[in-house]
Amino acid sequence: MTTPESSELLGVPKEEFLQSVREALGRSNVPPSQPYPRLTDSLPELEKQAAQIRRHLEENLPDLLDKLADMAGKGGWNVHRASGVEEAIAYIETVARESEATNIVRSAQDVFDQIPVDAALANLGFKVTTVLRDDGNPREALREEIRQSGIGITGADYALAETGSLVVLPRKGLSRLVSVVPPVHIALVRPKDILGSLDDLFLLRRLEYHQRGGEMGSYLNFITGPSRTADIEMTIVEGVHGPKEVHMIILG
Amino acid sequence: MAEIKTQDFTAASKAAINNPKLRRALDRVASGFEVARLDRVAEATPEVWERWKQEARDIKAHTIEHLDYYLDLLYTNVTAAGGHLHFAKDAAQANEIVAHIARTRNVKIATKSKSMVSEELGLNPVLEAVGVEVWETDLGEYIIQLAGETPSHLVAPALHKSKEDVAELFAEKLGIPYDEDIFHMAATAREVLRDKFMEADLGISGANFVIAETGTLVIITNEGNGRLCTSAPRIHIGITGMEKVIPSLQDLSIFLRLLPQSATGQRITSYVSMTTGPRRSDDEDGPEEFHLVLVDNGRSRMLADPALREALYCIRCGACLNICPVYARVGGHAYGWVYPGPIGAVVSPMLVGLKKAKELPQASSLCGACREVCPIKIDIPKMFLHLRNQTAESPDPNLRSAPIVERTMAKMYARLMSSPRLLGLSRRFGRALQLAEGMIPFSPLIKDGKWIRMAPLPPLSKWTRSRDLPALPKQSFHDIWKKELSRDDS
Repeated sequence: MTTPESSELLGVPKEEFLQSVREALGRSNVPPSQPYPRLTDSLPELEKQAAQIRRHLEENLPDLLDKLADMAGKGGWNVHRASGVEEAIAYIETVARESEATNIVRSAQDVFDQIPVDAALANLGFKVTTVLRDDGNPREALREEIRQSGIGITGADYALAETGSLVVLPRKGLSRLVSVVPPVHIALVRPKDILGSLDDLFLLRRLEYHQRGGEMGSYLNFITGPSRTADIEMTIVEGVHGPKEVHMIILG
Repeated sequence: MAEIKTQDFTAASKAAINNPKLRRALDRVASGFEVARLDRVAEATPEVWERWKQEARDIKAHTIEHLDYYLDLLYTNVTAAGGHLHFAKDAAQANEIVAHIARTRNVKIATKSKSMVSEELGLNPVLEAVGVEVWETDLGEYIIQLAGETPSHLVAPALHKSKEDVAELFAEKLGIPYDEDIFHMAATAREVLRDKFMEADLGISGANFVIAETGTLVIITNEGNGRLCTSAPRIHIGITGMEKVIPSLQDLSIFLRLLPQSATGQRITSYVSMTTGPRRSDDEDGPEEFHLVLVDNGRSRMLADPALREALYCIRCGACLNICPVYARVGGHAYGWVYPGPIGAVVSPMLVGLKKAKELPQASSLCGACREVCPIKIDIPKMFLHLRNQTAESPDPNLRSAPIVERTMAKMYARLMSSPRLLGLSRRFGRALQLAEGMIPFSPLIKDGKWIRMAPLPPLSKWTRSRDLPALPKQSFHDIWKKELSRDDS
């Protein structure tokens, strides 16, 4: 049995479309005469470059932490550098107390094993929900929980020093909605999450894509500061569809 | 396809110049985006910026030269990721693809994140005709959707509206009390659209880039609506032009640097959302189906003309609009179609046909500022000259931009300037006329013997309506050269 999607041809067949492109270019079907450098690196070559990146990160970690804090601040994050677990939790408590939230939602990432926020927030009277879907907590119910939450707390897959961005990838227990729907977002960044530049990020992602046999994961999101618009008279308003207030806690 | 009013450029630009409200709005753009962009160039250093530009241009040039190859690769990888790639040769076909998906999947509500290509296609009315409620969710797009207008800027679609305009619009369309506080208005939009994001069956987005290697769609936004449109509904359709493909994931870094910094002067936008295929089984959210619609809709005409091909390198940052002295005076709507400003004046004639848009390539003083700020180094003035040449020399009278009188005058001028004898004669004749004019009391045409205030006959009279023409001097350069400068130095 074929699903309706797999059997439907909409628009022009691929070959016909490509042929019209070739006609416009005034030539027949010829692939690029020289291989494109960023498509041809072999896996060992990518691994070698990845190892260089990791070495560079290790050697320059203190500088990169400083740069991340600086650029994240310029990007609109409220940056807090926490020297230890207690300090991180204390900062989260402060943000929660000063917010209008009663419900808080957090993703289920391993950073929370290191920073156990649930008990601390529950003690302050907040209802804390974890994004963990099972039969008792279907997607729709979870979505409603996220909508009711005043704060969303997530970890990071990466944090980019170049732009001050948080990068999130699909994980079990991590909904994109946690970082976009509640009016306040708190992100926890560990030193091991840090990358220097966009180039580092895309090289590592490319390596992983090929290592996983061509699986990119369904999304990769950059978050840099609060949601913003300047669509009315070029006046900047924060917190349009996404959060108005964003905090990045850098551990270390 | 969106309604075409490019043929009314002259009238529309006159009306725009006389609109003081538009003038204030345009002043805000000029002092906003371009100043911020210059800060970023300085921060990167001009040398580094120049290197980035060249790198980006090289990537685009390579991709467009091998567009068939990369579209094929993209097809393979979108499909491998579980998505569907559809090719549309024109607007009607692209709209039909989206409408078909909406119909067969029983879509009731669609939320849209900003897409200039969907504006170009005129998608919304087609979807509404098949019973879909369509919600633009970018604040600027939402405003112009409520107003029933088209975008006036590539990046800030509603910049022509004042806060009072928006407050009136919201009061009228949403039935809320008039409130011109910009923060309150943004909050209203958040409120109204929040439910729609969650109720929508279909999310529609554009694409700033699509990556051939991985089948990934990249959107760059600030409000967060793009993230919601691509993650909350059960179906996601991305719509974009076929030229948006780039080869490798690693090519993206350079564009993520250049696009936001050139567009709004931000180091990076609040959000960059990359999606590849539909939700995987382990994911907590995301669409069940992903479709990508790539449109030609006239782009192969640009591809076929080597002189215009580089217009397809454009990443729609809007920097050329923000610096253009013509855009700064006439605004976006005068250009009469979806793409305004210098790049629009090249792209629109190619997409809607030069016949309907033959005035647009004239909407430039050829000052070259657009070429200067373009992050892909697109030589827009050169393309203006190419299009002007096509309209001037065309055997088809409908395509010609100038009336017969102007064309004859131009020919006579060329003849005059290439014959020293004729030029000398006419100079003497002109001086005699000037002398005679000086005898008339109050000398109405010439000021101080130096400036011709009003030329008596067209087409010169048209030219002097808005500026003075230098009068003929007593001695021409030729005369001076002969008498004083041509001493033999050898």
